[in-house]
Amino acid sequence: MNLFGMLRAMSLRTKVVLPVSALLIVVILSISILLIRQQATGFRRELETTGETMVRMLAINVESGVLFESKYELEEAMNVLKRFDVVEYASVANNDGEVLAEIGDWLDDYSELSISVIEKNQSTHRDCEHYHIENPHGQEFIELIVPITSRIEQLDRETLGITGFGRALDPAVFTERIGSVRLILSLETVNVAIAEAQKTVMTLTAVVLILSLMILTSFVRFFTRPIRKLVEATDQIGRGDFSRKVDIVQQDEIGQLAATFNRMVDSLKQSRDEIENYNRTLEEKIIERTLELEEAQAQLIQSEKLSAIGQLAAGVAHELNNPLGGILGYTQFALEKLSKVDPEAVKTDDIASYIRYLTDVESQARRCKTIVQNLLRFSRSSRTSELDEVDINRIIDDTCAFVGHQLSMNQIELIVEKQDNLPVIHGNASQLQQVFTNLIINAMHASPPNTRIKLVSRLSPALGEFGGAVEILCVDQGVGMPKEDVKRIFEPFFTTKEVGKGTGLGLSVSYGIIREHGGEIKVDSAPGKGTTFTIILPVQKPATGSDTQSKDFPAATMRKSD
Amino acid sequence: MPAILVIDDSEVIRNLLSDYLTELGHQVDLASDGQQGVEMALQGEYRIVFCDIHMPKKNGWEVYQEVSKIKTQLAFVMTDSLPDELAKMAQEAGARRCLRKPFDLSEVRETVEQILSPAETR
Repeated sequence: MNLFGMLRAMSLRTKVVLPVSALLIVVILSISILLIRQQATGFRRELETTGETMVRMLAINVESGVLFESKYELEEAMNVLKRFDVVEYASVANNDGEVLAEIGDWLDDYSELSISVIEKNQSTHRDCEHYHIENPHGQEFIELIVPITSRIEQLDRETLGITGFGRALDPAVFTERIGSVRLILSLETVNVAIAEAQKTVMTLTAVVLILSLMILTSFVRFFTRPIRKLVEATDQIGRGDFSRKVDIVQQDEIGQLAATFNRMVDSLKQSRDEIENYNRTLEEKIIERTLELEEAQAQLIQSEKLSAIGQLAAGVAHELNNPLGGILGYTQFALEKLSKVDPEAVKTDDIASYIRYLTDVESQARRCKTIVQNLLRFSRSSRTSELDEVDINRIIDDTCAFVGHQLSMNQIELIVEKQDNLPVIHGNASQLQQVFTNLIINAMHASPPNTRIKLVSRLSPALGEFGGAVEILCVDQGVGMPKEDVKRIFEPFFTTKEVGKGTGLGLSVSYGIIREHGGEIKVDSAPGKGTTFTIILPVQKPATGSDTQSKDFPAATMRKSD
Repeated sequence: MPAILVIDDSEVIRNLLSDYLTELGHQVDLASDGQQGVEMALQGEYRIVFCDIHMPKKNGWEVYQEVSKIKTQLAFVMTDSLPDELAKMAQEAGARRCLRKPFDLSEVRETVEQILSPAETR
């Protein structure tokens, strides 16, 4: 992470505290270091000034001692120096360098004893030599060397009492160097003082620093706390909790910000509440509409059922009305005629016509009976019935025995092709026989004389999840049907036959029976090309066949095949 | 006596109307579907047509519309097991009479007599 990245990642408080503290530390430290230095320099200068004063005083005091080479006098003059702790060593030498008197110990070998001159200051007075020395032990010293001068006064004429010869003779004073005073002062005391001063300054600096940092931090905290509060509140609101308010009572910009923020939260909350309210209303409306729709749908289904029942009723009525009309009409006709006829004079012709009327009445009544029976069977076929294990080929044999006579009467040949060892089917034998009979009779009605009807049974291989099926085909060479008729072939009361030959219920009953067996019935036909009905019955027991089968009018679940 | 044409796909109704109207002294012709009925009605000279509505090939309405365009004087009696509303619709469509199956023979006689009575202006 680079510096900018780090800066960006820092909290606001850190961003303010860090640079300001750094600046504070630098400034305060610089000031204290400067102070210490100045103080150290001041101490040293003071010592130097003191030293110089001492050495000059000494140089004046020892003048006669040097002139007279009086060791005693010299030592007396120098003994004053012993009172000062800082004086390490002092000596007085004559012009030849010979030490006349000294106090203190000093090994005066610059090169051998590695006393190094670290500074050679030219003193304020030109005649004072000034050295700064440090020995190998790290002790520092100041060395001051001042020449000892002697005044030689030339006496003038006036002094000597000579007043002649004008006044050209001026008094003259000559100074003569007669030796030097050397003073070495220890800087130790000064250094200790300096160190102490340094310590004090450092402690003071530290205290000031810590205090100022504390003040800064709390100051910054004072400023950042409301901001932090704002941040926390924003975070909470971001998570959807609008109950939180920012609690900042200030008159400054942050206070204004908090107030604005609270207003914003209020309006946000209001908007959210409104939206939630809308949502709830919408949900309620959706539920309401869904219920209405469901109700409407239920009503629609109900009316569909009713209309189906109505259609059925209309169909039944229509079918029944013709034979009923015949029965009613012929009975009335016979009664009317008989009421006019003289019983004594009944003609043979009349009797024959009455017989014809009554025969018609009987046959029409039978027709009514058949219609009603079919209707009952039709309604039964849509109900659950017991399924046994049945052998399709046996049912085919039974059916052939039943219809064989009728077929031969109509000069139609029936060919049966049965595949051996067909698996057993779960079914209702009498219902299936009814279906096969119906198919063969239908085929017979559609077939002209001297044609064939073929009945085939065979195994249809297992496909996918299906465990195979048995197929029964009924193929005729009859008139066939157009597409429109094929579409409607399984509708109740739909018939292509002449009136009297069929009720229009046979195939819809058959359809119901096959569906109940979990099977399918399909038709393939074209005008002039005959008709093929295919029944597919699954080998597996229809698990839900009887349950899923509509208990209502089967036309509703009818699946037509084109 | 004027001739009457009966168009009906139901054999028993055809026979019944034929027997009864013949007995009443009318000359009766029979047609077993709509197509045949239209052909016969246009060719023959009939006064009344008894016409079923639900028939193969052509239904009763089609027969009525085709024939009454040309033979405007021909009286149609529609016969069917019509619900009340349908009977009303049939009359609004211009059909003179409707007989609902199963009808009484007396209704047949009255209808014929009414049509043939001098008061009937058609």
